[in-house]
Amino acid sequence: MSEVKVVSEIAASVWKIQANPGDRVEEGDVILILESMKMEIPVTAPQAGTVQAILVREGETVEEDQHVATLAG
Amino acid sequence: MTWQPELDELRAREAMARALGGADKVARQHAGGRLTVRERVSALVDAGSFHETGAIAGKASYDESGRLAEFQPSNCVFGRGTLDGRPVVVVGDDFTVRGGSADATIREKPIMAERMAHDFRLPLIRMIEGSGGGGSVRTIETTGRANLPGGVGGGWLYHYTTGNLSVVPVVGLGLGSVAGLGAARLASTHFSVMTKETASMFVAGPPVVARLGQKLEKKELGGWEIQTKSGAIDHAVDSEEEAFAAARRFLSYLPSSVHELPPVVPSEDERLRRDEKLFKAIPRDRRQVYKIRPIIESVVDQRSFFEMGKMFGRSIVTGLARLDGHPVAVMASDPFFYGGSWTADTCQKVIRFLDLAETFHLPVVYLMDCPGFMIGLEAERTATIRLGVRAMAALNQTTVPMCTMILRNAFGVAAVAHQPAGRFSLRYAWLSARWGSLPLEGGIEAAYRAELDAAPDPQAALAEIEGRLDRLRSPFRTAETFWVEEIIDPRETRPLLCEFAHLARPLLSPTPSRLQMRP
Repeated sequence: MSEVKVVSEIAASVWKIQANPGDRVEEGDVILILESMKMEIPVTAPQAGTVQAILVREGETVEEDQHVATLAG
Repeated sequence: MTWQPELDELRAREAMARALGGADKVARQHAGGRLTVRERVSALVDAGSFHETGAIAGKASYDESGRLAEFQPSNCVFGRGTLDGRPVVVVGDDFTVRGGSADATIREKPIMAERMAHDFRLPLIRMIEGSGGGGSVRTIETTGRANLPGGVGGGWLYHYTTGNLSVVPVVGLGLGSVAGLGAARLASTHFSVMTKETASMFVAGPPVVARLGQKLEKKELGGWEIQTKSGAIDHAVDSEEEAFAAARRFLSYLPSSVHELPPVVPSEDERLRRDEKLFKAIPRDRRQVYKIRPIIESVVDQRSFFEMGKMFGRSIVTGLARLDGHPVAVMASDPFFYGGSWTADTCQKVIRFLDLAETFHLPVVYLMDCPGFMIGLEAERTATIRLGVRAMAALNQTTVPMCTMILRNAFGVAAVAHQPAGRFSLRYAWLSARWGSLPLEGGIEAAYRAELDAAPDPQAALAEIEGRLDRLRSPFRTAETFWVEEIIDPRETRPLLCEFAHLARPLLSPTPSRLQMRP
């Protein structure tokens, strides 16, 4: 089993967290939603796996390329 | 009496050149997962089409009787070949000979390759590995003197490295470690590709950078993720074969030089095809994003979209495509990245892409969803507004025909840059389009400050003003005053774009642009 980093591709604020540690996700499932320029921008699972950790909180600001969640793939 | 002895010697010397840097060096090249320069040439061009120039140039030593004893070929291999039947010039570094560096090069070879492409108006493919003929410190010892970069007689390669960009398509393939002059020749192209596992590119490599206190491996310093995100390299691929395929595909959309028009090919797609999915492609909820690439692929000829620079300036997607067989340059907003706002990087991407279109007579299609220039401290720190007006200038300086589809947002100064300001272009707004000088969100607080401050319930006042303005900003009100000329059903997009491609073709002129393209 490999560890998969989920990163934010943009600088934004975290609007909603959609997945919790332990959740099973498929590739493309939304893990959290960022808000940037008044738009809701989903961060999705790059591959199927189990959510190991969510590393940010709602309302927090994230940077481009920031590691925001970890999956066990 | 024939000239058989001389022919035998010629063949013997050619065989020595084909041995490259020797069996050990070739084995090491293969062990590193990389092809040799001659294998690369063979894999790139049409089978049997390569005609080499200067094959037997190199450094030789002779025995006491004056016979050739040893021969080390130059580490630059170049010549002509064909790609899909069209002639091109190919020039490649041989890493098996002194790591591709200046110690083993003959300066005039790469210059002649560039000159051949320039003067015979042929596309140029540079296959780069090593320092691309640039000097190493060791060169001081082998030549007994230090080289002044660009000194007497040393400017021609630089002349063509930039000059060719305004004359012929130039593709750079980074296929190993690339540094110094090699990096410059790779970056100074219309389209650059590097392999993910076997290539890296940097101004100076890890040993030099270590002197700055930065202990980095090659890929950490100049791997594909660094270089495609920075915009220094356009495209990364898994194998050298994919790099050659990308070069072939890129060139297939372009004329052989600025003295020709882009080649039209028979289309296998229906010109009037209407895709039902477009009717619901844009979410009614303005905060929801959507995927732009399926929309692009839906409106251009099937499987014709060739994206360039995917990892850089990502709020705009750029690429080449065909409309009823006619090559076009496509720009499209990607709302997944800052809602489609133009960042400083996006502006740089737009400038280079429009310059490419202008240089090679490609009509431009813009699928627009732009809420404005990126805002905030980082945007100010990166000079977004100056690069933004530079992008607007690049657009205004084009002469190629343009067609813009406004898919959703058109706000602020950046929205002005959706067609050249001083000449006629085609423009359509989708049913989902909306626009304004400033988005209402945030804009109301700025414009109605006094009214909001005086209100007993500022939030209620804000909502009331927003509702009032929202009713007024229907695109139909704009159309009834002819501030926008046409609102369309999005399913009509492909037929209209194909019509545009046919209208544009007679307007294209196979003459060099006034623009002198820069890397």
